Amino acid sequence: MVNHQVDLPEATPSRRTLIASLLAGGAVAATAPFLAGTASAADESGPSTTAPPHRDSADNATLNAALDRESRMAATYVIAVGAASGDDKAALLLVHDHHVAYAQALKGYLATDASSASTQPLANPSGSIAGMARQLAALEEETVAIHTSNLATLRGINAASLVASIITVEARHVAALNVIAGTSPIAAA
Amino acid sequence: MNNNTPSQLSRRNILRSGGAIVASGAVLAACGGASHSGSIARIGSVPEIDKLETEHVSDVVLLRTAMSVEKMVATIMKDSRVTSLAESSVSPFLAKYAAAHETNMSVLAPLVTARGGQVVNEPNAKLMTAYGENALNLVEEGKTAGDVLNLTLGLESLVAATYQYFVSLTNEAALRADMMRLGAASSRRAAVAAQLIRGGTVGFSPAINEKGEELTATLPSAFGTLSAVQVVLGPVNEVGTRSPISMDTPSLNSMLY
Repeated sequence: MVNHQVDLPEATPSRRTLIASLLAGGAVAATAPFLAGTASAADESGPSTTAPPHRDSADNATLNAALDRESRMAATYVIAVGAASGDDKAALLLVHDHHVAYAQALKGYLATDASSASTQPLANPSGSIAGMARQLAALEEETVAIHTSNLATLRGINAASLVASIITVEARHVAALNVIAGTSPIAAA
Repeated sequence: MNNNTPSQLSRRNILRSGGAIVASGAVLAACGGASHSGSIARIGSVPEIDKLETEHVSDVVLLRTAMSVEKMVATIMKDSRVTSLAESSVSPFLAKYAAAHETNMSVLAPLVTARGGQVVNEPNAKLMTAYGENALNLVEEGKTAGDVLNLTLGLESLVAATYQYFVSLTNEAALRADMMRLGAASSRRAAVAAQLIRGGTVGFSPAINEKGEELTATLPSAFGTLSAVQVVLGPVNEVGTRSPISMDTPSLNSMLY
């Protein structure tokens, strides 16, 4: 048996050279995504500013205080709902549910850093809807003021956004309850 | 006898060309950015395109934009197309609210100048074009007194949403509180406007009428929303409905840099 092995007339690099060139190719392939990323980033980059953090554990104490306040607001509305009837009851239940939602949102944001919130009511509203609304509007006003002043100290942008979305609606609570309490609408806003 | 014909592709050749292909492919991939992936080769001369400058949404930009929104709202509320339709019981609210937005501008002005910015005294041109002028025209065409309160509620909700949105973009924490003080005041005005449209505790909750149309609610949601504010204005169309106008908070293309 004869094997006719014909070698082509060309330079024949050693096996070591071939393996080295393959390794080099592999190394370039591995770094390609980084190079590409750098290239496109260089195209789109501009001056950068120090952005506030999305989340900061330094905010936890303030957020826990806010959670406590919302939990106590919800407890206060439980009493008011029990003392009301008809459309008034439905309206107060709606506002109660808002405060429950705020407490849940703050608790969810804090997660394992959430402390146990008080469920002690801030007041004992009773009597006519106008009287209860006046008392609740004052509490809402206080809550808005607390949250707004907290905004000036919150570092995390996500916590600030959450508190801002609460303030927006609690400010509506204040005005709406004041109107129900008998305040002139022009003076309520 | 086994005639083993030698192939043109030896193992050595395959290894060598394979390495070269991988290496050249990698170099090409590195050179090409994502933005070039869909480009097509052109023939002929192509004009040079000046690249837009990169603008940054700084606190000053937000404050200047807020001023322009406040001015826009005050301008709309004082426009004769609105004031001429307002009932006598609603006119004091319009005047008070417009004055409040002008006062807000004087609150914002020192915050702008303290940060090296220039104060704004004109309504936001982009937003006026996008929906401000359209809203005024619809109010004029509709000739419905109720549109005045609907527009007022929409504008106050828009201002409140604008400040709420700006909180997520503001670097300086103290400034976020300042903005939300103004936003909360607009929220209160929105609630009062809603109560003027559908008053009493029954007006707190969202509801629909017998035709299935959504009624105004003083407390439409638990959290402040950032979606576009929808306001129904203008004349009844041939289908018997009125078109809602959508008012968005300022975005990157309507901010004052």
